[in-house]
Amino acid sequence: MSASILELQDVNKVYRPMRREPVHAVRDFSLTVNRGEIVALLGSSGCGKTSVLRMIAGFEEVSAGAIRLGGRDIHGLAPAKRGVAMAFEGYSLYPPLTLKENIAIALKSQGIGREQYEAKVRTIAQLLEIEDILGRYPSSVSAGQQQRVSLGRALIREAALHLLDEPMGQLEPQLRAVLRGRIKHFIKEQRLTAILVTHDQTEANALADRIAVMEEGRLQQFDTPEEIKARPANLFTGTFIGEPPMNTLNATARLEDNLLKFHLEEDVVLGYPEDAFATGLRDRLLELEQVTIGVRPHAVKLGEQGVSAKVYANQWLGDQSHVAMHFAGSNLISVSHEHVPVVTGATVDIAFPVAELHLFDSRNGTALSHGGDPVEVPPVT
Amino acid sequence: MSVTAGLSVTSLSKSFKDLQVLDKVTFDVPKSETLVLFGPSGAGKTVLLRCIAGAVDADSGTVQIDGDDVTQVPPESRGVGMAFQNFALFPHMNAFENIASPLRAQRQPRLSLAETVDSVARLLKIDHVLDHAPRELSNGQKQRTALARALAAEPGLLLLDDPLRNVDAKLRFEMRLELPRLLADRQATVVYVTQDYKEAMALGDRIAVLDQGRIVQIGSAAAIYRRPANITIAKLFGDPVINLLEVVPEREKQAISVQVSNQQIMLPHAADDVIGRPCMLGIRPEDIAITAPDVPAAVPVSIEAETPLNEKIVSLAITQRGRELLASRPADVASPSAGAAGFLFNGDGVMLFDRESERRIDMQSDSGKKTA
Repeated sequence: MSASILELQDVNKVYRPMRREPVHAVRDFSLTVNRGEIVALLGSSGCGKTSVLRMIAGFEEVSAGAIRLGGRDIHGLAPAKRGVAMAFEGYSLYPPLTLKENIAIALKSQGIGREQYEAKVRTIAQLLEIEDILGRYPSSVSAGQQQRVSLGRALIREAALHLLDEPMGQLEPQLRAVLRGRIKHFIKEQRLTAILVTHDQTEANALADRIAVMEEGRLQQFDTPEEIKARPANLFTGTFIGEPPMNTLNATARLEDNLLKFHLEEDVVLGYPEDAFATGLRDRLLELEQVTIGVRPHAVKLGEQGVSAKVYANQWLGDQSHVAMHFAGSNLISVSHEHVPVVTGATVDIAFPVAELHLFDSRNGTALSHGGDPVEVPPVT
Repeated sequence: MSVTAGLSVTSLSKSFKDLQVLDKVTFDVPKSETLVLFGPSGAGKTVLLRCIAGAVDADSGTVQIDGDDVTQVPPESRGVGMAFQNFALFPHMNAFENIASPLRAQRQPRLSLAETVDSVARLLKIDHVLDHAPRELSNGQKQRTALARALAAEPGLLLLDDPLRNVDAKLRFEMRLELPRLLADRQATVVYVTQDYKEAMALGDRIAVLDQGRIVQIGSAAAIYRRPANITIAKLFGDPVINLLEVVPEREKQAISVQVSNQQIMLPHAADDVIGRPCMLGIRPEDIAITAPDVPAAVPVSIEAETPLNEKIVSLAITQRGRELLASRPADVASPSAGAAGFLFNGDGVMLFDRESERRIDMQSDSGKKTA
């Protein structure tokens, strides 16, 4: 059995509106989804993620490239014939049907027995906490409840592929964590394959095995959430993934007094032993006019000998402290799971260990190194 | 009391036809402090703010600003700055003129006027759109323009109704860190409405929780988080939401304890009157440590799914009695991720609520008493 179920190969989408310039919404997009995998398409609005989903579903034509589902090219195949289950944002429920009827509508065509039908609906309703409202009509329930029903209608189906478009955007905040856990468990237990489109990285991180980060119609990076966080491919992915976002500082690298020194704004200098960076990488850093240093807020350690920063806010959110500082002409955020007792206006020591540094080429945002290890540059083809 | 409060609201009530939206609301905000009004939608937050501004007349009760009773004073003479949701900007004026309009009314000299507008606009990151008309601004920019207008006028009392609501997540986070400084610089007394508990905790010197037209708790962020007055409040603060389990405390030998799925959880600080009373045990996900399944005192569970949440990892587990529990831990802490495990409750984090009234039952340690 082949592991891959869906393959997108050099897929492009060009919209040609009347009397306006064509819009190249998706560019040379290639992606392979394995059976039983949850993949998230993540990006801000207009990045092309919904176009990709609509092409897979069959609502949009592919302008160039190929999509194969279960090894078969699905070009020209009507949406209903693709064997794909969908929960789309604004993919409205049928108003004259009860919520239960809405959920079960796909089961009718699958021709299953009464008992099995009831059991399936019950399982889904329990999963999504909608048992009490099954007899009601869509117009009489909240947006969050409607969304749960729409999700239930997709999850109850047996299909080769489940496409979920912003499935949890409307959900009540207090339900989200539990539902994310339950839905992930359900998808894994039922061995479904799912593609999730979202602009919310929390949702993508929570549910997905791998995340495809998109920007301006292009795939920026496709990897596990951990890998994307630890080794972002470029500055866009680095600053886009992670909450709060990665701190960035512009610097010039110089070799002085047997130290590799990063000169930041306001005459701040970060010095490292020469051999903290591999020779090839060090030479590259010295060549570049400017590099961008990225440090995750959780990696900024307060109270450690290093350089000093001035605190302008310290906010305790019950389970974490957010400390904001002025440092080298920028704002620097530190996040800690402990209560940090510093006051506004205080000067604090901070350290930037090599292991926590992400370095990027400032000209184009390409990642140079993570934690002192150079990024392998793929050969130019 | 000799210190004059920046704002005093006393027994304020308001009904629309048969619907009572505010029920004898009373609170003080000391000068230069920020009070966050927090609560679910429909709680009455916006109506309360409008009553303070004078845009809505209360049925009864009084509003005092800096010691003066302004209940009968028209809104424009109350010296109050406002940024309301959907607060209409003047459509024929660009963003700069909108922000400057209250300053012109104050007859500020032109030079300092431009400086004031620019500095506020820079802080709110709208300095690049000052020449745009309202229709050319995004919702988030409109909202920040309205906020800038309220701030620029430097009123003694500022009323802000969810001013970051439409702002995108990253900017919202930045603004949350910068706003306190902005407000402190102006020494304004602030009433700030939000539905986001993190914003409430971050910005409020104190938080007033409003539910169905009543203030149900008022206190510091830490106090409300650790000692919520009732179950509703406990659930409104915290992400993921607090775990709640039905329990009945019992006495065994010297100690009071509850059963959670065959595991005894000791309540060393509970008083005798909880014995036999139907209760809810509350424990926040971050107050549960994940252990091996056979650790004494840990509740045996089976972990069903792990879902990262920012820099935390949330584990959804099911007890032997089929009850769901959420635990969260920093992402860099290793832990079993699936299958059998133990959930160990941090004793200081355990809360007890009366199941009928849903009110939190004070346990001795809460009042700071040392126990032997």
